[in-house]
Amino acid sequence: MASSLIADPTSSSHNLYSFSPSDQTASDIRQHSFYPYTDNGGSTLGITGNDFAILAGDTRSTSGYSINSRYAPKVYRIGGEDETGEGAHIVLSLVGYAADGTALQERLNTVVKMYKYQHGKRMTVKACAQRLATILYSKRFFPYYVQAILAGLDEDGRGALYSYDPVGSYEREQCRAAGAAASLIMPFLDNQVNFKNQYMPGSGEGHDLHAKQAEPLPRQEVERLVKDAFTSATERHIEVGDGLQMLIVTAKGVEETFYPLKRD
Amino acid sequence: MASPFSINGGACVAMVGKDCVAIACDLRLGLQSMTVSNNFPKIFSYGNVYLGLTGLATDVSTVSDLFRYKVNMYRLREERSISPQTMANLVSTSLYEKRFGPYFVSPVVAGINHTTGKPFICGFDSIGCIDFAKDFIVSGTASDQLFGTCEGLWEPDLEPEDLFETVSQALLNAVDRDALSGWGAHVYIIEKDKVTKRLLKGRQD
Amino acid sequence: MADRYSFSLTTFNPSGKLVQIEYALAAVNQGVTSLGIKVPKKTSHQRHRPRHRKEILLPPHRPPSLAKVSLITPNIGMVYSGMGPDYRVLVDKARKVSHTHYKRIYNEYPPTRILVQDVARVMQEATQSGGVRPYGGGPSLYQVDPSGSYFPWKATAIGKSATSAKTFLEKRYKDDLELEDAVHIALLTLKETIEGEMNGETVEIGIVGAPANNLLGYEGVEGAVGQRFRKLSKEEIEDYLTNL
Repeated sequence: MASSLIADPTSSSHNLYSFSPSDQTASDIRQHSFYPYTDNGGSTLGITGNDFAILAGDTRSTSGYSINSRYAPKVYRIGGEDETGEGAHIVLSLVGYAADGTALQERLNTVVKMYKYQHGKRMTVKACAQRLATILYSKRFFPYYVQAILAGLDEDGRGALYSYDPVGSYEREQCRAAGAAASLIMPFLDNQVNFKNQYMPGSGEGHDLHAKQAEPLPRQEVERLVKDAFTSATERHIEVGDGLQMLIVTAKGVEETFYPLKRD
Repeated sequence: MASPFSINGGACVAMVGKDCVAIACDLRLGLQSMTVSNNFPKIFSYGNVYLGLTGLATDVSTVSDLFRYKVNMYRLREERSISPQTMANLVSTSLYEKRFGPYFVSPVVAGINHTTGKPFICGFDSIGCIDFAKDFIVSGTASDQLFGTCEGLWEPDLEPEDLFETVSQALLNAVDRDALSGWGAHVYIIEKDKVTKRLLKGRQD
Repeated sequence: MADRYSFSLTTFNPSGKLVQIEYALAAVNQGVTSLGIKVPKKTSHQRHRPRHRKEILLPPHRPPSLAKVSLITPNIGMVYSGMGPDYRVLVDKARKVSHTHYKRIYNEYPPTRILVQDVARVMQEATQSGGVRPYGGGPSLYQVDPSGSYFPWKATAIGKSATSAKTFLEKRYKDDLELEDAVHIALLTLKETIEGEMNGETVEIGIVGAPANNLLGYEGVEGAVGQRFRKLSKEEIEDYLTNL
């Protein structure tokens, strides 16, 4: 995932806020500046199973060292009823700049609903994934400042998950972490979901060792991993915490769960 | 210009177990994105105390030599080997001496105190502020990743074999998500009267 | 001609002696008597009341405000016979060096031997005339002489009556002394070997005993350990003298 667009703005002179006071020392000429992005912190995570997909995100929203909200969801239902999201079959998580997140979510939601009205059928996750990439790329030179993860069930009913960079580059994966604590969570997922660096016991020595093959995990196990990942990230990253929201897509629809996280 | 801490790359981690400690490092030495060597260990032993050093490679060498000198002088003067706690204070004061022109290293100390028999680990910033941790210490360009894997995999009172598996998985999976670290690892499992050093094969990319 | 060698500290005379050092030793041997006794470490089954290694040191004849027994670190004390001004300089240096050469590096106070070496080096570097200084700390008792040589002792005395005091100590010393016994013997030794009245004003005693947590000035801090070295009060000394 290209994260070059995410990393930079915080290191510029206008650090924590969109508006920065002008430098008024020893001059009558004042210059105002406006920076259109803020990093609102937080992290998201998606894992797929054989017949389900889970998208999770913490509910803290920050700017700089301030906490704006302890309950600001960044996981959304796409293509459901207004307000309730009832009937949605696709879920989307957006982390980065919260205003762009809600705007993008609304836009994709409209697109998916329009698709249903015009074509008389539900949009597939695969099509939705491509459409989201198009939307992101359409703002190639003034991007939505977000990292997106889209999830649902594919045409065969298997869990499907797509991850994006802010300008629409995307790929389908088994699991993905995004946002402030992505660097903490991702290697843990490599190890526990895709069994990276694990070998079959007694399968030989040195180069003869057989790598442990990744296989879809049962839902209970995945939920446990998601909770572990977020409690760990909460422990070590100040922008992560308060609450853990999970949207679980199965053939029956979208379930939502909520677990409190540490609020310090 | 890149930070001096991330020109050469590298990672180090220490963990506490039941009556044992582990310390491990990767083996890569690079110049920005170019890998120069796949055999540059970052853990140094001084009697029964172990020091891990990540950061600018030239400072890693200089500082490891400096402490070899200081610890040898200590042993000659005091006719006893240095304890991990005393080593920690020595590292701290030595780094603070260079407060306004620091060595660009993030040290980690690990060992078992032979007077008390208790495991000890700690970490430092480059000017000597000590982080006394009861669980684990991470350092280097993969420190974010190591925080994630350690926080997820570590549990209290691990036996030496389980501690080895835990620290190895924590390090290997962390460095695989860091372009500047990797290329194999050294792992030390330190018990009261036994130290086991293992060489791990990792991804060669 | 012989006088020629009297001025330089570092020139040997024809018979191979550094005469200034000899003079310094002579000065020390005219100084008031000081002595130290090391109390051995108890093995666990021998343990009775006090369970810590202890030792004492003491000189007599304290002119008001001119103390001879000094605290160097919380666990190490020092006493002298010889030149008072030189001693006070040495106490200053010992206190300073225990921090600059040790505590500020290792965040702990130096072991006695290490401090003795540092002080001995100071004395060697100056090879100045000072006094013979025996001092105690931790489980050990050392004497440092003006040349910079130092010696570990079980019990020793320095100053005017050092020879007779040491003979007396040799007879009285046992390997299973308690701290109280050591103080008692020390006072007996002084009484036998020196002139003048002994009371709380004229005798000083310093002990290195169990950690005195009551001297910390605070309580309730886990792991805090009080200093081991302390000087006995006038009243305590007079109690001991009454029971002599």
